[in-house]
Amino acid sequence: MTLWDLNKGETANVSHLCEHLDDSVSTRLVEMGFEADQSITCLRRSLFAGPLVVQVGDCVYSLEQTVAEQIFISTK
Amino acid sequence: MKKILLVGKPNCGKSLLFNQLTGLRQKVANYPGVTVEIKSGKMGDYEVVDFPGTYSLNTLSIDEQVAVDQLTSRIKDEETELVVCVLDATRLERSLVFALQAQQLAIKANKPIVFVLNFIDELKRFGHDLDIEALSIDLGAPVYALSARSLDGISEFKDSLLSAAHKHFTPHSPIAHLETTKEFVDFSRKLAKAYAINKDVVLKNQNKVDTFLLNSFLGGFAFLAIMFVLFQSIFTWATPLMDGVETIIASFAGFVTQFTGEGVVTDFLNDAIFGGVGSFLVFVPQIMVLTFVIGLLEDSGYLARAALICHKPLSYFGLSGRSFIPYLSGHACAIPAIMAARTIESPRKRLITMLTIPLMSCSARLPVYALLVSVFIPSDQYFLGFFNMQGVTFFGLYMIGIVTALIVSAVLSHSKATEQEKSEMPFIIELPSYRLPHWKPLYHRIINSGVQFIKRAGPIIFMVAVGIWVLGYFPMGASLEDSWLGTIGHFIEPVFAPLGLDWRYGIAILMSFLAREVFVGALGTLYGMEGADENIAGLAQNIMNDGLPLGTGIGLLLFYVVALQCVATVATLKAETGNGKLAWGLYVAYAILAYILAFLANTFI
Repeated sequence: MTLWDLNKGETANVSHLCEHLDDSVSTRLVEMGFEADQSITCLRRSLFAGPLVVQVGDCVYSLEQTVAEQIFISTK
Repeated sequence: MKKILLVGKPNCGKSLLFNQLTGLRQKVANYPGVTVEIKSGKMGDYEVVDFPGTYSLNTLSIDEQVAVDQLTSRIKDEETELVVCVLDATRLERSLVFALQAQQLAIKANKPIVFVLNFIDELKRFGHDLDIEALSIDLGAPVYALSARSLDGISEFKDSLLSAAHKHFTPHSPIAHLETTKEFVDFSRKLAKAYAINKDVVLKNQNKVDTFLLNSFLGGFAFLAIMFVLFQSIFTWATPLMDGVETIIASFAGFVTQFTGEGVVTDFLNDAIFGGVGSFLVFVPQIMVLTFVIGLLEDSGYLARAALICHKPLSYFGLSGRSFIPYLSGHACAIPAIMAARTIESPRKRLITMLTIPLMSCSARLPVYALLVSVFIPSDQYFLGFFNMQGVTFFGLYMIGIVTALIVSAVLSHSKATEQEKSEMPFIIELPSYRLPHWKPLYHRIINSGVQFIKRAGPIIFMVAVGIWVLGYFPMGASLEDSWLGTIGHFIEPVFAPLGLDWRYGIAILMSFLAREVFVGALGTLYGMEGADENIAGLAQNIMNDGLPLGTGIGLLLFYVVALQCVATVATLKAETGNGKLAWGLYVAYAILAYILAFLANTFI
């Protein structure tokens, strides 16, 4: 299951990042809080598969589909 | 001079703290080719240097690279006494990731570091009590809690900086040695667990506002409304200021020329200096108002939401949500906007954004629009009885520019991608807390925008105004028609005849291929010389009396919407793309497109 599958209002834990991601991108994602066991909540989905809004730790980010699909999650 | 470096993550309130520490005088150093601005200001015997907000020392874009390179080299500087790292107290965990990296960097350079816990007033309001002493022990460095906004703790912090209080600080235990990303992230998390406020409390308000502003329907409506108010304000708020500048120039002209008497000197001052250069200065307030509104949007936190809202629609045209900010700043000036495109990580989207930014109606077009709109649109007409018709026309002109840019982007995005362009970078953006913008950083931005505009455009406008005046004044005693300028004008008239424009416009348009804001100055000089009296103000009135058909006027407006008449922009494009042919090709292509549109408007309206 990836972050892109998370519905509005649902919470999950980050499990790992896709290994095909560019090193610089995955480093930044980890620094932003997308790291194993971090809890992640989907706050908002947009129309027409637009970017989703998630809360990770103390920050709120917006991500587009291509990157959300590279972040694997596990629901409790 | 001893230096203090100020660093921190974006949106941590660093620039306000900088302004509170240094007062109203500051220097801005722009780094060629990037939007990186490093500001410095004086505080007692120290010079405080404000670095751009950075998420990490591991960079993603070229912009970040320049900022981090500057930091790593300046931190080693002998003059550097201290590093101050600002933390957002409401987002402790994320602020700490960069803060810990900065601390390691400072240790390597053998420089002391202190931490500032900003937004402490918000923390108090939420009823959270943070153990600052314990945090300071864990970090192995002094921690100061303050609020740059409410000024809580500012004077104490300033005093301790001035008295170099950090020198008396000794860490209780050796500072943790961190190296890998995982170590930085894990340690931040551990500290945040121990000290940070419950994140849901902080994010509750922000998320509540976002349910409205990011709502698919209401949010879209709010977005359009905000953009519309932006364009209305450029026109309506700026008008009294512009009238003020005009009056000042006119009375100053009257004052100066009473000493010079009749003759060449007075003619020169009236027509070239006050008429030509003056009619350009009138538009500086408008540029400042635009900067003010964009600054408000950015400092309030709305700009990130706007990028999010725009991402999907823009992606249909081969662009990214990050293209929105360069596009929006393109309405102030294409040059910083093209540089701001560096924040777009995807090389292909970045190129397309850069090539279409010149279609955004930059502030240099404002004088041209303002002049022609006031000629053709009566100021007392209202659309739907509420919206000023001139404002509505302005909005329309800006929209035409944007729509043209989107069409061109769509066409360009269908071209074949090169190998290098294939590595796509994703769209991720932080949505900061909504905050009321503070006047101090805004004030500096506004003043800086006006100064930069005059510095950049002033010299060329001065030269063109003087050049036109000389060509139009001589041979002595000849009428404008028979002057050197008139001769040149009549020679090129056939080119502009299909657009319905006479030789005076021809000269002004030709001149404005150097820089488009020259148009008004050039026309001002020409009309000023033609009028027998010392009529400096009221170029619009002169054109009206002259009678310019509506179709021709619309054509002229369209011409200015599309044409890339700015040598500085071409030079920037050349530098940024590393492709001179592409930059000059674009210059010619937009000129041809502009000519065709103007021709069509003149023929069919």
